[in-house]
Amino acid sequence: MLKIENLHAEIDGKEILKGLSLEVNAGEIHAIMGPNGAGKSTLGYVLGGRPGYEVTEGSITFNGEDLLEKEPHERAAAGVFLGFQYPVEIPGVSNVQFLRESLNAQRTSRGEKPLSGAEFLKLARAQADALGLQQDMLKRPVNVGFSGGEKKRNEMVQMGIIDPAFAILDETDSGLDIDALRIVGDGINRIMRQPTKAVLLITHYQRLLDYVQPDRVHVLADGRITRSGGPELAHELERQGYAEVAA
Amino acid sequence: MTLDLPSNREEAWRWADLGGIAAAAALTPITRPQAQFLDLPGAKLLFVDGVLDDAASDLHRVRVGDLAPGAHALGKRATRGWSLHLDAQAVAHPVQVVHVATGGDNHVAAEIVLDTDTSAQVVETFVGAGWSNRNTRIRLGKAARLMRAVRMTQGAGFVTLRDEAELGEGASLIGTMLAAGDQGVRIDAAITLAGEGGYAEYGGALLTRDRLKQECAVRVRHAEPNGQSHQLWRAVAADQSQASLAAAVEVARHAQKTDGEQSLRGLLLHRTATVNLKPELEIFADDVKCAHGATVGELDARALFYMESRGIPAPRAKALLTRAFVADALDRIGDETVRDAFAADADAWLESAL
Repeated sequence: MLKIENLHAEIDGKEILKGLSLEVNAGEIHAIMGPNGAGKSTLGYVLGGRPGYEVTEGSITFNGEDLLEKEPHERAAAGVFLGFQYPVEIPGVSNVQFLRESLNAQRTSRGEKPLSGAEFLKLARAQADALGLQQDMLKRPVNVGFSGGEKKRNEMVQMGIIDPAFAILDETDSGLDIDALRIVGDGINRIMRQPTKAVLLITHYQRLLDYVQPDRVHVLADGRITRSGGPELAHELERQGYAEVAA
Repeated sequence: MTLDLPSNREEAWRWADLGGIAAAAALTPITRPQAQFLDLPGAKLLFVDGVLDDAASDLHRVRVGDLAPGAHALGKRATRGWSLHLDAQAVAHPVQVVHVATGGDNHVAAEIVLDTDTSAQVVETFVGAGWSNRNTRIRLGKAARLMRAVRMTQGAGFVTLRDEAELGEGASLIGTMLAAGDQGVRIDAAITLAGEGGYAEYGGALLTRDRLKQECAVRVRHAEPNGQSHQLWRAVAADQSQASLAAAVEVARHAQKTDGEQSLRGLLLHRTATVNLKPELEIFADDVKCAHGATVGELDARALFYMESRGIPAPRAKALLTRAFVADALDRIGDETVRDAFAADADAWLESAL
């Protein structure tokens, strides 16, 4: 599904990713773990197409297509979802409007019919309920005045509504208490644990992996994958620390 | 033509586009554009190049005729126009005025006099090309209420508004201006809260592009105690355009307990554009609350990427963010039909400018 080969990327002339290769197949959940500054978030942003992140070498293909050729909104329409570590506040734009615009823009670009207001609201309410986000937060401006945990739940509500084929979730577990962690973990499993979908979980800690079992775990250190393994690798990291394992 | 207007050396005319006004007045005739009234009951006035089109108008309580010219450099040019006088307890259906310009210059005066406890709503729309100059005098009696909304959507030329308003005890004026066309604009206003407890909201949104210049130069004077005023202006400037917001609050010595608020914000869609802000406070009373904020910025790049990453194409994401930016200024329009029409004009402008 996703194939990254020898990826080099820089920000402001500083190289962050230094030859990263990774392949994620449909039906798989991969976890990327690593110390701060290893390039985890950069990988997420490069996949999402954030301006300012320049790819200098290597390739990324998604379902056989060159992902780097696409604009951010085209990547979304192709099925890629980026869950933000710090979801952005957008005063003056309601959650409902934002999400309906997002979903319908994607549907339109795929040649599907846009959802009506009523159809959309039904979908949005169901997803908000499933993730324990209060209904009135759908009407509020995007993420404005939301707590850290509410913002992360809102990311998952968005993912549920958009129903992507591939999700990159950047530190979705940060800022969550134990109850919220379970709800978000359940959400990821419910929405994304399907034979046709795949997930790249970017995380600093092992705790989210108690709820979302990864098929593969990779250690990202200094801009490249230094080790890969099964779920047991996450536990090893938790016990011994990155310095030991990544070296 | 000679403009006979003050020069840019005078502070109140510092950002006025005098050349733009002269050029608009010299615009060659264009075919008369279609003008639509909103689907609302009440008086409908169609002025074509400053002259009432009787057949297309329905005056109700509005009178049309000679009016005394004002003393102001812009206002003195207008000697004919429309007037609305309401006596005790009357409520007028909305008065709609559509101003069509087909080149050259045109000048119309207006007088709105509302007696004790009366209320009225006025909606004005500018279309076409040329220099359209308006002088509007407003007198509100005790507890009278006027809601006025003006949208400037000419395809070329210039619109100048000179508003002079005097508010009696407990009277309220809510004025909302929208510049969303391809014309230069000067909104020149002097509003006096002459009775105790007056309430004035006067603001709007200026959307400029190309090399246009749009500005407001508004002065609200609190002459009596317990008055409230809010001047909320939003300016969006694209290309090499210039938007200028100059809003002053003046509080007289005995106008205690005045609450005066100014919020001036500019958004640059391109770095080649200019937004000038000048909030001014002149306070002679000692027990007042006057808040003012003035900021200029660009669209939030993080918010843009967030929206794009959800599938919204960049031009649409920019339009949504920009619309959110101007929404505060247009939300103050009370009537839903009018508010929606103004929002649609702003949207159309944003979609084509981005």
